[in-house]
Amino acid sequence: MPVLKRIVRYLGSMRAGLALLVLVTVVSAFAALQEQAEVRQNIYGSWWFAGIIAFSALNLLFCSVRRLGPLCRLAYRPPVVRSAADLRKMPLHTSVKLGDVPDRAAAAPALAAAAFRAAGLQVSGEERGIVFGERDRAGYFGSVFTHFGLLIILLGVMIGALSGFEHINGGIAGSSFFVEEGGFTVAVQEVRMVQEDDPAIRPRVYSDVTVTQKGREIASGTVAINEPLRFGGNAIYHTTFRYVSALTIKDTASGRQKTEKYWDEDKLRLGEEGNFLYLVRFYPNFSLNTEGIPYSKNYLPENPVLAGILFLDNRPVHNVYLHLNRTETIETKDNVFELTMIGFENAVVYTVSRNLGRPLLATGAVVLVGGLVLCFAFSPRRFWAAYEENTGEMIIGGQSYRNRYSLEQTLDKITAAIGGREEE
Amino acid sequence: MSVIIEVTPTALLVENTLFTLSAALYVLAAVFHVLLLSGKKKAGLIADLIFKTGFLLHTAFIVTRGINVRRVPFVGHYEFGNLFIWATVLLYFLLKWRRRGKFNIVGAFLTLIVVLYLSYLIVVPVLFPSINIDRMHRALKPVLRSSWLKIHVSASAFGYAGFTLAFTAAVMWLLRSRLPEKKYPARIMPDCSTVEEFMYSAAVIGFLFQSIMIITGAVWADISWGRYWGWDPKEVWALITWFVYAVYLHARLTRGWTGGRAVALVLIGWLAMLFTWTGVAWWLTGIHSFG
Repeated sequence: MPVLKRIVRYLGSMRAGLALLVLVTVVSAFAALQEQAEVRQNIYGSWWFAGIIAFSALNLLFCSVRRLGPLCRLAYRPPVVRSAADLRKMPLHTSVKLGDVPDRAAAAPALAAAAFRAAGLQVSGEERGIVFGERDRAGYFGSVFTHFGLLIILLGVMIGALSGFEHINGGIAGSSFFVEEGGFTVAVQEVRMVQEDDPAIRPRVYSDVTVTQKGREIASGTVAINEPLRFGGNAIYHTTFRYVSALTIKDTASGRQKTEKYWDEDKLRLGEEGNFLYLVRFYPNFSLNTEGIPYSKNYLPENPVLAGILFLDNRPVHNVYLHLNRTETIETKDNVFELTMIGFENAVVYTVSRNLGRPLLATGAVVLVGGLVLCFAFSPRRFWAAYEENTGEMIIGGQSYRNRYSLEQTLDKITAAIGGREEE
Repeated sequence: MSVIIEVTPTALLVENTLFTLSAALYVLAAVFHVLLLSGKKKAGLIADLIFKTGFLLHTAFIVTRGINVRRVPFVGHYEFGNLFIWATVLLYFLLKWRRRGKFNIVGAFLTLIVVLYLSYLIVVPVLFPSINIDRMHRALKPVLRSSWLKIHVSASAFGYAGFTLAFTAAVMWLLRSRLPEKKYPARIMPDCSTVEEFMYSAAVIGFLFQSIMIITGAVWADISWGRYWGWDPKEVWALITWFVYAVYLHARLTRGWTGGRAVALVLIGWLAMLFTWTGVAWWLTGIHSFG
């Protein structure tokens, strides 16, 4: 039992927290310098990295729980001050001569209370001639909120990782695909490309989708970049758009003809194995630069061309440019093919994902930022004031939680307020 | 495909003139601040005036750039660099005003760092052609056409600004703790604990904005890409910077770390920030390559 207690104490200690933070920093710095695809699998997806994160979460939890009690005591049980002499022992204190104030001993508490209020303090009364005031008490709990915010985020990440999935798929208008992990079908109803004023800017593509589960429609809407469709913890994101070309291929020897749709990087077989047209890329407004390299002037479909490389016996022979409605003749060793691009359309690629941790992530983020604001924008300050008979001075002492500067500023305001009254 | 926005020659002239003038004034302010640090007290007032004028012209430049690119000028190294330098100077003036001139001398060191940042934008690309800081007026990629851009990048600029001011104070602390007290520049510098107080305040501001930047970035990534975190090098290095400052704040607040150890952490944090800004862009590849 003592061993377990010691482990729990160590896990909740600041020393362990700082060590884990340094460890995560060093591992992440090393990982960022490596090949990204490998790193995702070998480091960020590894059991030991998950272990470090889990230990960090435990540290945050134990540390926050352990600190909660002392913080509550600190916030709600201010130290007892019995006399002006106690105030003189405080690291920050000052004395103000009360001068010509009549019946100084009797007037001092009211004078101090008024000065405290003028400096923004909440005065909670006077006891044995000592006036007490404080402000920004909420600031004591900033670190707890911040830590709990981080914990909620980590919990959201965990739930997201355990319950979620990511599925990449897409299609042209009229097509559909089944998302096995989610048990629903996504049907692409319509795909629209909207050109920008400057056609050289990548256009926006909008697609209307309908989601069905067991024949029942569960969601529908338009998906575009930065505009996902969300439903029941799932979301469909527009990842990118592609062009799909419709080609007619005629085998002149047999007279057979077929029309099929092809995506970029598809291979179109021409007779025997090893003879094929590798369809590299579709260009909406095709042109060749001075070095003979194809490019698209912009996104306007003014000169659509599907560019490919002809391979014979698995060896590249020459480039082939298929213009819209213009037949290209390709000769292989034993045959002649006539290829015509008869049309093209846009296809969309989606990332379909489920992340049930999202609400927790959002809550955690809000709590975290709120905690940081409490930590840094609220500086808890406490002041006491007592009249000292033998010197005729008002002694003011203050305590702060982390922010000596704001304590000094408030003390300046208090002394100025008392000085001002005195002049009145 | 390169998408360049056409800008009239007059608009381009105004933009370039404002940038050149503001950069020149920052350099001049640095020169006068060096004079101040070497004991020429009168140079301080002139330096401050030049620094403020430079800042006003820099503000005008950013507004003009925004008009010329027809969007918020927050994208790419050149625009972000300018935004972050501007945010740093603004934050300094705000802190100076709030602390009633207690930290006037910070400006003397800050101008030198501003000049260092400007030289990265202006001189480094000339010396190292592989570092191409694109000044062209480019339209936004579709993924960047989001109101999150303004929030995310502004938070980033102010985060970096806070860390830069903390770094400035760290440099001051190193000088103040090592130089003889009665000699310049230590003679006109506040004591080490006051400098540390400024360093802490600036680091806190930086940390708060860096936190907002990471969170808003995650929200935006979730909306655009379907995932809030992708272990992209820029994301990772932003998190590393955040971690370093988290260690500093924890060490200071809970273990009472002050002095050399605290200053060392702030210096490491600044190096991490600098690598996030420049190193990741030139040495690592990722999805944060927006020009």
